[in-house]
Amino acid sequence: MVLLENVNRNYSVGGEEHSVLKSISLQVNKGEFVLLRGVSGSGKTTLLSLIAGLEKPSSGKILVDGEPISKLPDIHLSHFRAKKIGMVFQHFNLIESITLLDNVLVPLVALKIGLKEAKKMALEAIKSANIEHKKNAYPTMLSGGEKQRGAIARAIVTKPNLLLCDEPTANLDAQNSITFIESLKKLHAEGKTIIVATHDPIFEQLDIEHTVIDLRDGERV
Amino acid sequence: MLDNSFFYFFTLSLFKNRKRYTAILFIATVVLFLLSSVLFISSSIKTSLNTQLKMEPDFVLQNRVGSRVVPMDENVVEKVLDIYGVDKVTKRVYGRYFFDKEHSVLIFGVDFLDEQSNKALENILNKEDLKRFLSSDTMLVGEGVFRYLNSHFYPKAYNFLTPQGKLKRVEILKRLNKSSTLYSSNIAIMPQNLAKEILGLKEKQISDIALNVPNESEQNTVQSKLEGLFFTATLFTKKELQEAYENLFNYKGGLFLSLYLIVIVTLALILYLRYSLASSVEKREVAILRSLGWSIRDVIKLKFFENISIVFFSFTLGTVAGYIYVFMLGAPLLEEIFLGRGLNVRVELLPQVDYLSLSTILILYATTFLSSVLIPVWKVAVTEPKEALN
Repeated sequence: MVLLENVNRNYSVGGEEHSVLKSISLQVNKGEFVLLRGVSGSGKTTLLSLIAGLEKPSSGKILVDGEPISKLPDIHLSHFRAKKIGMVFQHFNLIESITLLDNVLVPLVALKIGLKEAKKMALEAIKSANIEHKKNAYPTMLSGGEKQRGAIARAIVTKPNLLLCDEPTANLDAQNSITFIESLKKLHAEGKTIIVATHDPIFEQLDIEHTVIDLRDGERV
Repeated sequence: MLDNSFFYFFTLSLFKNRKRYTAILFIATVVLFLLSSVLFISSSIKTSLNTQLKMEPDFVLQNRVGSRVVPMDENVVEKVLDIYGVDKVTKRVYGRYFFDKEHSVLIFGVDFLDEQSNKALENILNKEDLKRFLSSDTMLVGEGVFRYLNSHFYPKAYNFLTPQGKLKRVEILKRLNKSSTLYSSNIAIMPQNLAKEILGLKEKQISDIALNVPNESEQNTVQSKLEGLFFTATLFTKKELQEAYENLFNYKGGLFLSLYLIVIVTLALILYLRYSLASSVEKREVAILRSLGWSIRDVIKLKFFENISIVFFSFTLGTVAGYIYVFMLGAPLLEEIFLGRGLNVRVELLPQVDYLSLSTILILYATTFLSSVLIPVWKVAVTEPKEALN
């Protein structure tokens, strides 16, 4: 499902090169649950961004579902991302000026799905994320847990095979974190490939089969 | 379209940014209103002047002593008629009569024996009125003169003071039609003898001679013959008049063109700055869209549709408001800039739309507006979304 070969990512700050990821190679199989662990600044978010095609590697090869996403032109990459990858962010990243239902619709607009069908799909996703009662609420009116459930609904609305979660429980209390993990387990049971970047110890109690990849200073440990 | 999710999101986006877009729409509408008003006024005046110019004779012969225009003997007409190629020679009697230091009227004396004048009068008056006009001391007045007399003196007649110090009562027979436009607004038409009496011309004297030369290739020859024959006279050609009109409009047109550019560039600059300094919220929104599968093209398309709507609405509102202001309300304030303040004259601006100029403004405006918005948006959209999401 996901294959990285010798991936490097460097940033230039003030004319000076900083290496964030160094020679990362990994493989994630279809239906696998992967925990990407490491302290802040270890390169977890950058790695997820590279897999999602939100940024390009300085060198190396990335294949997602067989597609060399770092080499795809923007229009194809965007379509690929909308169709195949769902993302859940640490800060939820919901658009605050529109309702939760409209937020969930956003990826479907990119796929040019008709409004009627899109609304049906969005409602299904919202229902599946147990946030149906808040579908018409604006994100500012939601609690952290509700926002994260909204974000899950948005991530799964296009029925992607790959779900990328970046520090998804960092802004949630213990109870909401447990609920979130239960949602992930459910999605995993449905056959989705899930990669979670986290340093939250709550994931240590994860009671399903999973792979752990540890990162330190941009390198696999 | 109703089942189009992009269209739905576009309307949603317009609605969620309604405060910002209303402000931009308001400013843009005001700018377009001013631009279109100026354009409507200038095209209306230009058309009126061109219509007037078409009616002007090819040549006007005036007698001058020193630099003063003085009356000429009407026998000169016979000599002019002898020149080959000359047509429609008219003895004209006219002059300016001052009501006071600031207000005056242009008096035209009409010769009922003159075929052209009679035709023109027949268009304005019915037979009964024509008889009365030619047999009694009556006059036809332009809109501006009528308003002035009505507000300062009497609405039915006016007592002119002749150079001999006598009062000459002249009744207003009719107001000239509004469609006779700006040239007739400030005039009074009366029988030629009456006009001569008021203007102080003797029986055999006229103000000048107007003549036409139908064959354009003969005009230069006729001009030299006239200049040779009447060396004390001055000859004015239609071309000179045309140049005078054009100079006036090129000057004012240039002035307003500069203003157009300043206003449009200022608006573009404001928009450019507004979008360049897009808040972190807006940048984040673009990044969210990008991270959820929107391509750069989708983001630009959304912003394009949002802003083309503003362009369309502001242009429509601005031009419709401009049309109402100019042609229905008479363009108070702006009219004075164009026409000056002659005789409390209110010129009737006849509806005249210069579609070419209007389209040019639309294209210039839309291009400037859209590029000043879309370039900064494009810059935000091509930035890696990760930066704005963190």
